[in-house]
Amino acid sequence: MAFKTSVQKYSGNVCNLELGTGEKKISLGGQNVIPFYSFDGDTGSGAKIGLEILDIYPDNWVDELKNLYGSAANNAAEWARLVEEKYSPDFICLRLVGADPNGLNKSVEECAALAIEVAKAVKLPLVIAGTQNHEKDLKLFEKVAEVLEGYNVLLLAAVEENYKTIAAAGVTAYKHKVAAESSVDINLAKQLNILINQLEVKSENIVMHVGSAAVGYGFEYVASTIDRIRLAALGQNDKTLQMPIITPVSFDTWNVKEGASTIEDTPEWGDQTERGIAMEISTAVGVIAAGSDAVILRHPRSAQTIRAFLGKLI
Amino acid sequence: MERFLVIGERIHCISPVIRQAIADRNSAPILQRAKEQLDAGAVYLDLNIGPAERDGEEVMAWAVRLLQENFDNVPLCLDTANKKAIESGIKVYNRSKGKPIINSADAGPRLGLLEVAAANDAMAIALCAKEGIPTGVEERIMYCTEMLEKAMTLGIDPMDLLFDPLFLVIKGMQDKAQEVLETIRQITEMGLRSNAGLSNVSNGAPKHVRPIIDATYCAMAMQCGLTAAIVNPCDPRLMETIKTCDMIKGNMLYADSYLEL
Repeated sequence: MAFKTSVQKYSGNVCNLELGTGEKKISLGGQNVIPFYSFDGDTGSGAKIGLEILDIYPDNWVDELKNLYGSAANNAAEWARLVEEKYSPDFICLRLVGADPNGLNKSVEECAALAIEVAKAVKLPLVIAGTQNHEKDLKLFEKVAEVLEGYNVLLLAAVEENYKTIAAAGVTAYKHKVAAESSVDINLAKQLNILINQLEVKSENIVMHVGSAAVGYGFEYVASTIDRIRLAALGQNDKTLQMPIITPVSFDTWNVKEGASTIEDTPEWGDQTERGIAMEISTAVGVIAAGSDAVILRHPRSAQTIRAFLGKLI
Repeated sequence: MERFLVIGERIHCISPVIRQAIADRNSAPILQRAKEQLDAGAVYLDLNIGPAERDGEEVMAWAVRLLQENFDNVPLCLDTANKKAIESGIKVYNRSKGKPIINSADAGPRLGLLEVAAANDAMAIALCAKEGIPTGVEERIMYCTEMLEKAMTLGIDPMDLLFDPLFLVIKGMQDKAQEVLETIRQITEMGLRSNAGLSNVSNGAPKHVRPIIDATYCAMAMQCGLTAAIVNPCDPRLMETIKTCDMIKGNMLYADSYLEL
């Protein structure tokens, strides 16, 4: 008797979302199977890789990275151009850390002016990350969304405290995409999506940021939350959880001790950059295998490794 | 587990408004009831054109087209004893949102509708009855297995059958209420799907009591494994109960706004 492959069919699928414009625009999602199960159905666009840059000079980053980017890191637009030309990620994440009220507290106008410079400098899609201060982010994203109208960027992220303004300004008024951020809890992720949907924002304009952590730091919760969200989206055809997922891996991995501790402090652990890259790669592989549709990384070498990994698996 | 399947019952020729609308081929009242039910959360709509012996084929094809064209190919339950009318409805039916459901075959005179289901790759509601009202759980299960065997010889996927244990009115046949629930439990244990014609149960009860009986009986039946029901989706108490049961059973993930979905 001939061998018949059994196929796991799901009733639901992940929404297909487009980011950016022109030749370098990307799609997220679109799959109707769990990650890499190409023998079961359509794996969609596959995981996308973004590289992180900042609006200010990256004083806290490892020296190796500062040397790698050199003087370009003094100017976000130049930095973005360098990243695009040299490392060609799928997208660039511009992180507006300078706007943080607990830091430089740059004005929203200043940040918006910088964002538009970056947008003009590159063809890659942009993800704009905020300060994680809910009040500041609300004003920041409102302004940034306005000046970047037409660039179809992702605003990372709206939370329950500020989603109304960010989703209304970002998506309804200026036609961007919004990331809905919740804290590693499937029910909260679902609730925030419902609330944003109730503002007449369609699921095709929403990405989920369901929380992140570095491997070894409660990462199992992140992986299982992503996994359960995907199974609910596909298996239960839960329309409120069918948005693609983005995970800002580097925001966590370089802050935990394996990524942050210098070689002087922990000589027995070896080179700091290598550790940071290893943390970044391990975390990214974990969330991609669980179902994340996009990851944000800091080191170009991490991005290169993840790309090779994806290429081998798909 | 899959979510509970809500089939809206309000396009029924027993309603004078609908009967007249069908007779006059007047689409407005039918479309209005369809919209109300879909807005209220119905997934399938039952389309009951009665015996329709004279012009059933034409009526069914007209109504199927009307509903599917206006509501994004809404999946339908074709409800009539007229076999030719069902065939003519299926002929124009768009199955992109779900197979048509034939309502309904039984183990007696309407066993032949299973052949229609098989020939047209349709689902069917299979009433566990032959002549009159079955006397107990055993008789219902006997009809269930008879129909299952027949369906399988015809090549129907058992999952395309919704076995209906024949829900009976409480006021007058109260002693049957537990039999029906036990039958659902046994159908579920066989790994099969089931359906309820739910509004029968509260027939004759005072108007303010009916939603309470319907909702409670539905919740009890869902715990026994009931997978679908033909109901009035415009009854908010019933719909809230169904959603809450779905949530407690894990068929749907909880979120604070789950009732608004």
